[in-house]
Amino acid sequence: MSDKGGGTEAQRYAWGGAVPLQIHLDDSEVTTLPPPPPALILAPRLGYLPLLVSQIKPFFSSSLPPGADTVWFEYKGLPLKWYIPTGALFDLLCAEPERPWNLTIHFRGYPGNILTPCEGEDSVKWSFINALKEAAYIINGNCKNIMNMSQSDQAELWRSVLNGQLEAYVRVSSKLKLDIVGDEFSLKLNSSTPKSDQTVNTDLDATGTTRTGKVPVRLYIRTIDEDIDDIEDAPIVDSWEKISYINRAVEFHGEEKCFSLHDAIKYLLPEMFTEEVAPTVGSSDTGEAQVEEGEQISGADSSTEKVLRPEIKLVRIQGIEPRLEIPFSWVVNNLMNPEHYLHISIYLKLVPIS
Amino acid sequence: MSREDAAIAAIKHALKALKKRHLLEEGAHSPAIIALSRPIVSQGSEWKEKAENLEVELQQCYKAQSRLTEQLVVEVTDSRASKALVQEKDSLISDLQNELTQARDECSRLATLLEEKTKALELLMSEHQELKEQFEATTLRADNAEAENKMLIDRWMLEKMKDAERMNEANAIYKEMVDRQKETSIELLARQQVDGVVRQCEEGAEYYAESTVPTTCRQRIPAHEGGCASILFEHNSGKLVSGGQDKTVKMWDTNTASLTRTLHGCLGSVLDLCITHDKKSVIAASSSNNLYVWDVSSGRVRHTLTGHVDKVCAVDVSKVSNRNVVSAAYDRTIKVWDLQRGYCVNTILFHSNCNALCLSMDGQTICSGHVDGNLRLWNIQTGKLISEVAAHSFAVTSLSLSRNGNVILSSGRDNLHNLFDMRTLEICATLRGNGSRVASNWSRSCMSPDDDYVAAGSAEGSVNIWSVKSAKIVSTLTEHTSPVLCCSWSNLGKPLATSDKNGNICIWS
Repeated sequence: MSDKGGGTEAQRYAWGGAVPLQIHLDDSEVTTLPPPPPALILAPRLGYLPLLVSQIKPFFSSSLPPGADTVWFEYKGLPLKWYIPTGALFDLLCAEPERPWNLTIHFRGYPGNILTPCEGEDSVKWSFINALKEAAYIINGNCKNIMNMSQSDQAELWRSVLNGQLEAYVRVSSKLKLDIVGDEFSLKLNSSTPKSDQTVNTDLDATGTTRTGKVPVRLYIRTIDEDIDDIEDAPIVDSWEKISYINRAVEFHGEEKCFSLHDAIKYLLPEMFTEEVAPTVGSSDTGEAQVEEGEQISGADSSTEKVLRPEIKLVRIQGIEPRLEIPFSWVVNNLMNPEHYLHISIYLKLVPIS
Repeated sequence: MSREDAAIAAIKHALKALKKRHLLEEGAHSPAIIALSRPIVSQGSEWKEKAENLEVELQQCYKAQSRLTEQLVVEVTDSRASKALVQEKDSLISDLQNELTQARDECSRLATLLEEKTKALELLMSEHQELKEQFEATTLRADNAEAENKMLIDRWMLEKMKDAERMNEANAIYKEMVDRQKETSIELLARQQVDGVVRQCEEGAEYYAESTVPTTCRQRIPAHEGGCASILFEHNSGKLVSGGQDKTVKMWDTNTASLTRTLHGCLGSVLDLCITHDKKSVIAASSSNNLYVWDVSSGRVRHTLTGHVDKVCAVDVSKVSNRNVVSAAYDRTIKVWDLQRGYCVNTILFHSNCNALCLSMDGQTICSGHVDGNLRLWNIQTGKLISEVAAHSFAVTSLSLSRNGNVILSSGRDNLHNLFDMRTLEICATLRGNGSRVASNWSRSCMSPDDDYVAAGSAEGSVNIWSVKSAKIVSTLTEHTSPVLCCSWSNLGKPLATSDKNGNICIWS
C-alpha cells in the first residue's frame, strides 16, 4: 500500500487494510424506479461506518424520500453498532469472509432501542477519544496524557485516523507515551529482513524501558451451539445478545518473553482452561487458519455436569487468524487499533464431551 | 528457545496472513472501485470546469454590457442636458432680441410723445397766459360784487328786526289765548267732579262707553251641548268665554261669532268661570270638585286646584292681584287659593252652602250669597265674618259687583233682584220681574258697565232689562227657547250676551 509512512510492516498492513463494501439501499426507502444500483466502496478496517456516509449519500440522494436523514447500517437483519471499528465488525460477523461485504443502508427509522444515537462525525470522534482515554487509564492508571493533549494535537490525531495516515498518527501518539510492552521479536524479525534497521532501532529506543503493564483488549465472542463442521455454516447473527463482549485488561510483564496469545486468551477466559493441556497442533477442518485445538478442556469434573463444553474454533485479529503461540507483545504492538485497544474476535463451538 | 522459534514462526505466519488478506481485500478490490469511480468524477469535474469557465465568461460579458449601458446612459443624459442648454440659450437670445425691439419701439414712441407733450405745453402756456388775464379781470369784478353784497346784507338785517318785533306781538296774543283756554278747561273739570263720579280716574276709563239698551239679537250661537251655565266677557273687549255641560270652555269673537279657542281638560261640567285681570288665565269651577286654571296663550291646563269634596259652583278672582282666587262649593266651604303656587291658602266653613260669590274691588273682602238667602261679607285674610244681611227670602243665585265697586247686585229664588250699597249694605233698589221666574239656583244676572241697567234671564226664555234709576223693565228680549241661565254685559257697553239651558248663546245689541 503505502511505504511512505513509518511503523512496522505489519502496522502498515493493519493501517492499509480496507474492506470492500457493496451497499444496498433498503427496499422500504427506495422512491425511484428502477431502484438505485448498489454502491461499491472501500471501508478502512480501522475506520467507523458513519464516516462513510458522506461518500455513500450521493449514490442514493436522488432516490431518498424527503425528510431528515438518520443513517444506520444493517447486515442480514442485524443493525451494526457504529462505534465498533469496521474491521472488527467484519471479522466478527462474516465467519467466512464475504468480499465484497453486502450491507444495507438505512436513512430512516433509526433503531434507537438497539443502537446508541449517532450525530455524524463528532459523535464518532468523541467515542474514539473516550475509548482512547479508557485505554490510557488502563495502561497508565490515569488519563492525564489525553486530557492534557493540545487542541491541535487532538485534531491532528483524529485527522490521521480519519485519513488512515500512519506516519502522522505515530508522530502524535508518540507524545502520549502509551507504549505498552517491549517487543524484541519484531527486532529479531526485522533484522532478518534487510528492510530498515533504522526503524527497528528507533523502535528499540522507544521501547527500551520495558514496562510491566496492562493491555486493553476488547474481546468479541461468538458461540456456535450447533454442531457444524464448516465455519461457513455458522448461523446468522440476528441479535447482539448472541455475542458476548468482554472489555478487560490483560496484565503481563515484559520479562515474560514467551507470553503468547494463548496465554492472553487464557488470562481473559480462565473458565475455558480449567485444566492446562499441552498445546498440540490439531488438524482442524479449516486448513491452516484453525491452528489450535489444544485449548480443549478435558476437565472430568465439569464433564460430569455438562454435556457440552466450549471449544475455541477461531481467533481473528485484523482479519487474520494468527497461531496461538504468537507472542502477545508483537500482536499488541502491531495489530492494535489507533485507540490503543486490541480487538479480538473469537468463535467458540460447543462440542459434546467425548 | 523452541518456544521462541515457534513464536518467530507464528509471527512470520501472521505477516504472511496479513499479506494474503491484503491481497484478497483491498489489493483485489481497490483498483476496480477506483476505476469505477474515476470516470464519473473526472467527467463531472471536466464538465464542471467547462461550466465554470463559461459562467465566468458570461459574467465578464454581463459586466462589459453593464459598463457599456452605464456609459450609454451617462452619455445620453449628457447629450440631453446639453440639448436643453442649447434650447435655453436660443430662447434667451430670441427673448433678448424681442426685448430689444420693444425697447426701440418704446424709445421712438416716447420720443414722439415728448414732442407732443412739448407742443401741448406750449399751447398750455399760452392758454395759461390768457387765463391769467381773465382771472385778473374777474377778481376786479368780484371786488365790486362784494361791496354790493355788504350793502344788501345791511338792508336785510334791518328788515329782519322788524319781523322779530311783529312776531313778539303775535306770541303775546297767543299766550293770552292759552291762558283763557286753561281757565275754561279747569272749569269743565270742576263741573265734571261736581257730578260726583270721577270716571276719568277709574281704571279702564278710556274704554268707558255709555251702555245702550240692547233690542235685537245679532247672533245666535249653538255653543255647548247640554247647556251653557256660564259666560263671561273678557275685560274691556268683545271676546266672550263660555263654559258648559260638555266639559269644555270656548272662547268666541262676538263681532264675527266665530270660535277662537277651545280649552279642554275639565272633567266635569263647567258651573262658573272667571278671567284674571291680566287676561292670561281662565279659571273654571267644575262639577268634578276641582277648579281648572288654563293658560290662555298655550291652551294648556296650568293648575288643577283640588281640595273641594263636592261640586264647585262659584269662583272669582281678585281684581288687584292675579294671585288670589276664591271658590265656593257644595261642601259648605269657601276656599281661597294661591294661583301662583296652586295651593289652597285658606278655607272658610259655614253651615249654609254658598251659591255665588264675588270679591270686592280691593280684593280684601269676599261677598257670598247663600242658600239661606243671606248675603255675607268675609275677610279674606282671617276668614272671619264681617257682616251679613238677609237679602232674599229664598236662596241667593247670583252676585255681581258694579264697575265702581260701590253697588252689588244680588238675585234670588224669590225672583227679586236687589241692589245693595257695598259700604252700608243698605238696599238701594229692588227690581221685580213681573212674574218671570229665575231659572235655577245659579242663574246669573248682570249689570251694565255704566251701572244704569240690569239684565236677568228667566225660566221662560226671555231676558229682562231694568233701568236702575226707574226700577222698571225697559226691554224684554225674547229669542231663547229654553230657560236663560247666564247674562254678561261687555265692559265696552255693548253687546250683551246671554246663554240658555240648550247651550245657545245670543249676542244682543
